[in-house]
Amino acid sequence: MATSQPPLRFTGHKNFVYRLVFATLTGRTVHISQIRPSSPTNPGLAPHEISFLRLLEAVTNGSQLEISYTGTIVVYKPGLITGSGAGAGSGGVIRHELPAGCNRGVSYYLLPLCLLAPFSKAPIKVLFTGPGVITSSTPTGDMSVDSVRTAILPLYNQFGIFNNIELRILRRSNPGHNGRGGGGEVQLVFGHQVRLPKTLHMMNPGRIKKIRGVAYAVGVSASNNARMIETARGVLNPLVPDTYVFSDVSSAPLVPAPEKSNPSAKKKIGLGFGLSLVAESSTGCLFSADVASPPSGGQAPEDIGKQCAYQLLETISKGGCVAPAAAATMLGLMTMGSEDVGRLQVGRDVIADEGVIQLARDLTKFGAPGWGLREAAGENERGDVVISVVGRGIGNVGRKVA
Amino acid sequence: MIGKRKRHTHVVSSSTTSEDDEATATTTNDSSSHDIFRKFFEAQFQPLEAPEARITCAQGSNDEHDTDEYEESEPESEWTGVSEDGHNEVEVVEHHDVSALAKESTDKRARKAFMTAKPPSFSVKPAPVKSSPSKDEDDGDDAANLKNDLALQRLLKESHLLESSSDLAPTGKNRLKALDLRMQSLGAKTSLYSQNMPSSHRRGIKAKAEKKDDKRRREARENGIILEKPVPKAKPSSGRRERGVGGPSIGKFAGGTLNLSKRDLSAIQGPRRSSKGKTRGQGKTRGRR
Repeated sequence: MATSQPPLRFTGHKNFVYRLVFATLTGRTVHISQIRPSSPTNPGLAPHEISFLRLLEAVTNGSQLEISYTGTIVVYKPGLITGSGAGAGSGGVIRHELPAGCNRGVSYYLLPLCLLAPFSKAPIKVLFTGPGVITSSTPTGDMSVDSVRTAILPLYNQFGIFNNIELRILRRSNPGHNGRGGGGEVQLVFGHQVRLPKTLHMMNPGRIKKIRGVAYAVGVSASNNARMIETARGVLNPLVPDTYVFSDVSSAPLVPAPEKSNPSAKKKIGLGFGLSLVAESSTGCLFSADVASPPSGGQAPEDIGKQCAYQLLETISKGGCVAPAAAATMLGLMTMGSEDVGRLQVGRDVIADEGVIQLARDLTKFGAPGWGLREAAGENERGDVVISVVGRGIGNVGRKVA
Repeated sequence: MIGKRKRHTHVVSSSTTSEDDEATATTTNDSSSHDIFRKFFEAQFQPLEAPEARITCAQGSNDEHDTDEYEESEPESEWTGVSEDGHNEVEVVEHHDVSALAKESTDKRARKAFMTAKPPSFSVKPAPVKSSPSKDEDDGDDAANLKNDLALQRLLKESHLLESSSDLAPTGKNRLKALDLRMQSLGAKTSLYSQNMPSSHRRGIKAKAEKKDDKRRREARENGIILEKPVPKAKPSSGRRERGVGGPSIGKFAGGTLNLSKRDLSAIQGPRRSSKGKTRGQGKTRGRR
């Protein structure tokens, strides 16, 4: 993997994860500078970013990291994605502990990890644990673990990646005090590695045929779930009769909180409730919405349910075959596909999203050919856009060698 | 005329429920003396409000007509009084959501399918309801029994062939094997698969099969597909194969004679002492010794 190419230079902390993921997939060294340089209190890398770097280090072999003294500059030289092969922890499961100060949901790690996993040499098995695992959706904009499982992972099926993929939610947790920390536990098993993902053509959004969802209550009364479901169904049922929202109630996780007098003290953390909704269209497109109670509390479950239902409707109304939350995953996989043109119809609002545009720019920098954009054919009253993505044809380097 | 109208409305309201009907009947019996007085009074003056009418109003019939009457009777309420308290019960109406109860049964299965660790496959069909085939009459029963019997016997005999394929009607190689078994059971001398052929043919067949498998494995490896582990080959025995006890230790006993081949002879005779010196190696050195 030794590259004589000069490192790609990026600035800023935005799109940090996807830059690192594509660096790993393409094998290019990246140099990211000016990471929060002007923040007076927390300059440099945030705890969740550091944690993600550690995760990358764990699933790859031979990657090198250099972080500047202030943490505002990172140089990352990727290695081979080995996954959890022989000698990786007990039973091949990589145990990744998230720090207590983490304010991002665990989906922040799951989404990029899933993007890496199909190109790994061995199956990827990672157990996320520790006092920073938030399984619910967070105020920082991460989706819940349920949405990852029900709205993102099924998308891999369309790329021919479907075997032995599991996301076990061992313990749930909402964000803790001030939105920091949680005590959840999640295990990802991604056991289907491919040489190249299939070329995708998704041009027909279809019509929504069913809605499923999960309402979760952690350490609070189960009636919250019933109330959320009631209001959400009140909004959605007239539109889609096939609506089921399942309820999941769990007790609050206990995390150790040692005091001077009582070193073995524990405290409850991550109380709250939330709702995750997934709509599926007749052609297999998935749209998801996520709302959870804010860490400060003070919001009625009815509000959450209604908000979530409306959010789902908004996501669907953006049109296209891909929800904004899944766009990076889909486009990333298409870029990593074989040297063939894949097409994807997206809503105008989805592609106009800041993150997607940044993703396009970053991908070009990594050497991917630019996207072709054109208006969708047929009756297209919503102004959808078809993105044509040419794959890079690199695929799974580990597979090629082996 | 107005008095008649009163009576009429009273009857209608009471006819809605039988209980009320009885109640009103008893009240009329009790107050029969009142009635006589009232009739007399009404004949003299204007019609009075009946106490019964008041009760029906209190029972909550929403008829606009009745409420009007109630208001009419308002000024005389002191006179009529409230004698029968039992009729002032509050009607309780419960609304049940029928759909909520009905979905409970399907809920569990859907939950099981959705709330697993795996990403839900949205194309899952509901479990097919097994329809029991309608039983035929006795006519076809015997034939069907025989047929089933035969099928069962065959299944029992050939079940070891079905390990890989799930359906009962074997196809391809398995079908041929099953056919072979049936032929043998019908009295065929040898199996189709133990053909007598020249060893060179057999070796060729084996080599070809080996080559095919090798190619398949190589291609799979190149494409990154993981195949099943190769079956360990039976090692060709290195030494002489075990002969039966009592057989000749050399040669071949057939037709009452022990036949010795040339090799056997040379083995008995030991290394030849060649006078010409054409042999090389060890034989030569021995010869000189």
